[in-house]
Amino acid sequence: MIASDLLDVPVLDADGTHVGFVVDLRLVLDGPPDGPLARPRLHGLVVSPRSRSSFLGFERSAVRAPWPVAHLVRRRHRGTFLVHWSDVASVPTPGEAADPRQEAAVVLARGMTRYDARL
Amino acid sequence: MRRRRPERWSGPLAPEPRPAGRVLDARLHLLDRQVLDDDEVPVCTLDDLELEPVDDGATPGPHAGTRPAGAATVVVTALLSGPVLRTRIFGGRPPSSRWQSVAWRHVRDLGTAVRLGVRGDDLDLTWPERWTRDHVVGRLPGGRHDPEGRS
Repeated sequence: MIASDLLDVPVLDADGTHVGFVVDLRLVLDGPPDGPLARPRLHGLVVSPRSRSSFLGFERSAVRAPWPVAHLVRRRHRGTFLVHWSDVASVPTPGEAADPRQEAAVVLARGMTRYDARL
Repeated sequence: MRRRRPERWSGPLAPEPRPAGRVLDARLHLLDRQVLDDDEVPVCTLDDLELEPVDDGATPGPHAGTRPAGAATVVVTALLSGPVLRTRIFGGRPPSSRWQSVAWRHVRDLGTAVRLGVRGDDLDLTWPERWTRDHVVGRLPGGRHDPEGRS
């Protein structure tokens, strides 16, 4: 699996309701040691309810300038949340779509928790 | 197919417990960054990341095939560079044979650029540059010595 297999992919909850798109992958450098740095562990998926684009992460940081851009991007990405990787039930497998007419999607587990995505 | 409007979530978001290690967002902090070798020479652009599940000690049971994706720990094993311009415009992904990878163990530092702890010449990734140097530039008159005359 590569990061592009998850980025921009629609996200469904356990009932099949569309909840947004994967706009980023949250990584934590606490995996097994591998060279000078620890391997980044996939900690979760950042999901935006409205847009699959991501622009400079304004909605995840305290940066407020330039004001028009920050305001527009925050508004576009309002409701963005982080879902832990342990709450992911299934991810699309490249080349193994059950129905080619249906778009691949990430499906979340029942009872998953929406965390604040701010860094 | 007509897409349904996203569910309107109005509840509060749970505060994220701070993980022990350094936190990075792939798109925000890694993808499209320049990769520099040990001599600060540009090697490639970081186009993608290779993700692999690691053996977390879970015993495969009778329902192993239906195990949730999130049950396995997934780590980044390599940086990938490849011909992504066309696929970013038109969709899809380049075939796996077209990706050039740099193992994560070579990464020394993450900042405005991704810095490696090895020289670019030691990586498979830079073979086109070496091939061009040996077969094209090296055959030009004066192409095999330093123009400043030091070597």
